[in-house]
Amino acid sequence: MSKEDNLRENWKKDFPYKKQESTQVSRRDFAKFLTLVSGGLMVGSGLVAAKAYLLPGEEVVGEHFVCQIKDIPLGGTRGFVIEGSTIPYILVHLESGMFRAFEQKCTHLSCAVYYKPNSGIIHCPCHEGSFDALTGDVIAGPPPRALPQLEVVLKGEKIFVKAFQNKES
Amino acid sequence: MSTFRRSQNQANPNKLNVILSTLIFVLILNVSIQIWLLYAALNNALDNNKEILIPAFIGSLILFLIGFGWLYYLPKGNFRNNTYKNN
Repeated sequence: MSKEDNLRENWKKDFPYKKQESTQVSRRDFAKFLTLVSGGLMVGSGLVAAKAYLLPGEEVVGEHFVCQIKDIPLGGTRGFVIEGSTIPYILVHLESGMFRAFEQKCTHLSCAVYYKPNSGIIHCPCHEGSFDALTGDVIAGPPPRALPQLEVVLKGEKIFVKAFQNKES
Repeated sequence: MSTFRRSQNQANPNKLNVILSTLIFVLILNVSIQIWLLYAALNNALDNNKEILIPAFIGSLILFLIGFGWLYYLPKGNFRNNTYKNN
């Protein structure tokens, strides 16, 4: 037996697997794997429910000063962060003269949104999502939910924000 | 004594083939529903609608238990054992 033949036989002894056996997944194993995935999804659903009930997100408490009215021109925006929180917000001065404050994170994949002047639309550049600048509702694109909103309170020349109360209810 | 398992092992391979395919079909269906439930639960949790979360979890749990019990009917395919017996 030549040296090459000897080597060939030896590695086969050391590694006695056929290629077909190692790459083929039997239907039985596939069914078991599907059940494992099913269990994982069940645990995921449980975690979502547990997180929502046991660790609810913090709500904005009280009123917070943002800026003076003269600091923000018509059609302009101003980014701000509430003290003790890291969530970015934008304050929008709509062309109609109204103020609106929204979270600056797109509800799709948390990209930063911005206000398109003279359009009444808050736009997300990542996947072309559009929100109504008046209500925060989704107009177009992939975002699944409206933008979270803060209520704007004007006191003289000062602009404050507080947690949004749904006026319809 | 004749058991479910014994008769299943003696069944025609064509029959086992259909059983296995059906099992996998139902499992895929279950997993699809669970993905949808998880997606809906997550979206509603982020939107502060908590009513749907517990029912979605219970639904997911039931589907998992169905899938897990379903595995009992998985043909064992102990073709090799039968050949040992014959030898």
